[in-house]
Amino acid sequence: MAGSGLLFTSCEKVIDVDIKEPPNQLVIEGNITDVSGTQTIKLSQSVPYTDTNIYPPVSGAVVTVSDDTGNTWTFTETEPGQYTFGPLQGVAGRKYTMTVTLDNKTYTATSIMPQAVPVDSLSITKISFGSTEIKTVAVHYTDPAGIANQYRYVMRINGVLTKRIYASNDRLQDGKPIKEQLFYGRDDDNKELESGDVVEVEMQGIDMPVFKYWFTLSQQTQRGPGGGVTPGNPPSNISGGVLGYFSAHTTQIESITVD
Amino acid sequence: MQNKYIFNLFFLIGILLTLPAQAQKRHTISGTVRDGATGETLIGASVRIQGNAGQSVTITNSYGFYSLTQPDGEYDLVVTYTGYQTYTKKVSLAASSTINIELTAGSELQEVVISASDRKNENVRSPQMGLDKLNMKDLDNVPVIFGEKDVLKTIQLLPGVKSGGEGTTGFFVRGGAADQNLILLDEATVYNSSHLLGFFSTFNADAIKDVSLYKGGMPSQYGGRLSSVLDVKMQDGNNKEFGFEGGIGLIASRIKAEGPLVKNRGSFMFSARRTYIDLLLQASPDSAVKGNKLNFYDINAKLNYKFDDKNTIYLSGYFGRDNIGIKNLFENNWGNTTATIRLNHVFNSRLFSNTSFIYNKYNYAVSLLDEDNNINVTSLIRDFNLKQDFQYFSDKHILRFGFQGTHHRIAPSDITTSGKSSFNPLTIENRYGIETALYLSDEWKVSDQLHFLYGARLSGFSLLGPGTFDTYNAEGEVTSSKTYNSGQFVKSYFYLEPRFSASYSLNDENSIKASYNRNTQNIHILSNANTSSPTDQYVMSSNNIKPEIGDQVAMGYFKNAKDNTFEFSAEVYYKWLQNQIEYKNGAELIANANVESELLYGTGRAYGLELYAKKTKGRLTGWISYTLSRTERKFDELNGGNYFAARQDRTHDVALVGIFNLNKRWSFSANYIYNTGNAVTYPAGKYNLGGLTTYYYTERNANRMPHTTRLDISATLKGKETKKFKSSWSFSLYNALNRHNPYAIQFRDKKDDPSRTEAVQIALFGIIPSVTWNFKF
Repeated sequence: MAGSGLLFTSCEKVIDVDIKEPPNQLVIEGNITDVSGTQTIKLSQSVPYTDTNIYPPVSGAVVTVSDDTGNTWTFTETEPGQYTFGPLQGVAGRKYTMTVTLDNKTYTATSIMPQAVPVDSLSITKISFGSTEIKTVAVHYTDPAGIANQYRYVMRINGVLTKRIYASNDRLQDGKPIKEQLFYGRDDDNKELESGDVVEVEMQGIDMPVFKYWFTLSQQTQRGPGGGVTPGNPPSNISGGVLGYFSAHTTQIESITVD
Repeated sequence: MQNKYIFNLFFLIGILLTLPAQAQKRHTISGTVRDGATGETLIGASVRIQGNAGQSVTITNSYGFYSLTQPDGEYDLVVTYTGYQTYTKKVSLAASSTINIELTAGSELQEVVISASDRKNENVRSPQMGLDKLNMKDLDNVPVIFGEKDVLKTIQLLPGVKSGGEGTTGFFVRGGAADQNLILLDEATVYNSSHLLGFFSTFNADAIKDVSLYKGGMPSQYGGRLSSVLDVKMQDGNNKEFGFEGGIGLIASRIKAEGPLVKNRGSFMFSARRTYIDLLLQASPDSAVKGNKLNFYDINAKLNYKFDDKNTIYLSGYFGRDNIGIKNLFENNWGNTTATIRLNHVFNSRLFSNTSFIYNKYNYAVSLLDEDNNINVTSLIRDFNLKQDFQYFSDKHILRFGFQGTHHRIAPSDITTSGKSSFNPLTIENRYGIETALYLSDEWKVSDQLHFLYGARLSGFSLLGPGTFDTYNAEGEVTSSKTYNSGQFVKSYFYLEPRFSASYSLNDENSIKASYNRNTQNIHILSNANTSSPTDQYVMSSNNIKPEIGDQVAMGYFKNAKDNTFEFSAEVYYKWLQNQIEYKNGAELIANANVESELLYGTGRAYGLELYAKKTKGRLTGWISYTLSRTERKFDELNGGNYFAARQDRTHDVALVGIFNLNKRWSFSANYIYNTGNAVTYPAGKYNLGGLTTYYYTERNANRMPHTTRLDISATLKGKETKKFKSSWSFSLYNALNRHNPYAIQFRDKKDDPSRTEAVQIALFGIIPSVTWNFKF
């Protein structure tokens, strides 16, 4: 609760945790966008919590993507763990199926690319929080009425990816002009926004299963174990028991300089 | 099925009522026991008559009423109550008579007695198990945060009761969830018992007369929650003279007024308190700070009037509200309202009746104030209750029977907006339900050694129209949908809940006890977070949600030593829980008409050992409590279908409380707690998702937060006392060792080395000093 921040000053301490090491898991991160170009599907492995953040790529997989109009594209491994095809442009309304075959096991996922919703603009909002002023970036667009829409936002500040995950839907805002504020702060390991910072926001139009995936992750990152929801692996839309997702989404990138 | 049970129940009552008629030449003494100075009825006072023809002993009920039946003859009537002088009177029993008794408060050198078992060895002899009574005098001495004495904080120092941890609301009893506690204030349900996100309870100690917590062996007049009953009773008010008292603390102040309406016949009590952190904010020259809100207040009021020896009316009410808000950003307020009308009627010297009409409501509002995104969400749960309770006193039996009916309304979410808000207005359909109960219990003194308390409760719940009710499959998809008109029954459930407790006294000071009870629950809280919050969503049992069922068995050994100076108890329990509720990952609970599609259903089990040793007399008093326990849940969809620890599963819980009276002016107290950390889920691995470190989880709640220990100390200095005026200063240090206890654990990339991750423990509080000045005149 934001209000509690007024009363309680929290205090941090790095602690040792005793964690059982699990075997590495296959992670598939598949994206097909509506921008013509190289489309990428990444395969990597998870590592135990205590290891360094170096994730082994997974080579030698057969990766294909097909759509519901009879097209099939076979992706090729251009770098270890990176399977690409291009140029390819996703089409709104089409259902895409990803098939990954590795070590005689097959993993499949489908995702429907939603209709693109154009970003109108970005803006900077100043919020007084006690005696300090916090600047946030807002995305402006008009949600199309009568259909369920889901969105994901990816924010970079001066080219650096922020660590908070943003996902929203129009459950309570169908058909409205939207001002989506991308709150973030020190909790996300980033500095606060300052004048002169260049903020780049990518807005993605995503389907419902992919929204559930990002929304689950976004809830968990707020306050780790003890203070928030019980964390768990987000529900993947890929069958066969892997981590990750396959998302056919629209994308648009805008940027703004903080005044 | 249902009718048969009801018939049997009343048939049984009929038989038992005719039993005493067959006895010969017996008469009854009955009446009310009161404080001689204030006229306040005394709950749980011991009333004993002994003579040549026999002897009998009882304790006064919730309204101070007692009834004793013996063969005709000469008797001594002896009434005792902690802190009061013993009352004795010669009684010649030849006809039934009313004897109202007023006790005089103890001598100047009042010893602090922290036992609530006012009848000698009552704790040993009574078949009641799992009951903790809190002496309101203890509250003055146990140190608490910000120096505000608090019923709920003190209860959490008892065995089997766990707090959710610093900064969280709610408490957990014997492995149950926070929403499985029935919290009653003058019989009205208090749905949210906390202020300021859990740092204070809604119970203003000034206005409270009696607190009983049933952890098991619930008597059959209580029902509707699986884990516990916290029965809080407000003071009636002085019916002899006017009085004022209050306290001025660092963050809150309190005032209480009481006095006679008609001397010796009726009285009033009014009590209020308010925090003023934000009044300080208002005084700030910084205009940004000025508009922020952070306060709560509450008001308790009570009136009573005794028409005659047979008829008394009580009116009581509570209103409380919390407000937090940040200027131009958001506001959140919430609170409870209760009102109770009660009519006591003494039909005859053996049959006591109470009829209660009760209203209670909990509601909240959350507003976002940003012009483009303004939204106001309100939600409420409201009950109307009728309770009829009879107590029938015979030689060896005290029968208790009656019925209860409750009408519930839940308005899950009502969204309003204004201007160019990006949100749409929305109203989620209200839900209506009726809970009914018929109950009968008998406290039976089989012999001097063996006592039973047994009975049953037939509970019913019906979900009512109007509205559209969807039925969901396991995937959360709608399988059928049906629309009902107002008052139509959507779904009904009936359960028979057996209750049984027995005590066997090995001798005056040692006993063993056993109990079994079943409870069902039809009001459930859905919470998106591990901790409860003011915006928790209430749902009723429905076509999708089955009533929660809890069965508990317990056994215990109770011992007193050195003339009740020491009390000791050891209890073990095992609990089975059915139809427990969790939500799915990524569930959206607020303002969601399909919220029942986001739920998972499973089972649970909890077991433990509770040890409790108490010193009740002397200059040094206090207690040690220890709980060894386990509580687990099992859901097909979670943790691979295996049992996992509930968040509040803590292996060890220790509390030590000591109160030392140095002299007439100074007293000191300290409490120390140790508990195992909550069960939490740590990441087992990690992976890369679009450049972000993302955590991989294996087992649910398989890890432990670091343990919590805390020492709190306080000192009380009594001011010079005059006949008219009393005052005291109380100084306290919360977390005197300034230990940073874990509130949450966060995982993140190391700031100085992003190729590694680290776990960071977050603490809320260090040491907190406080001072309060209390007065009475």
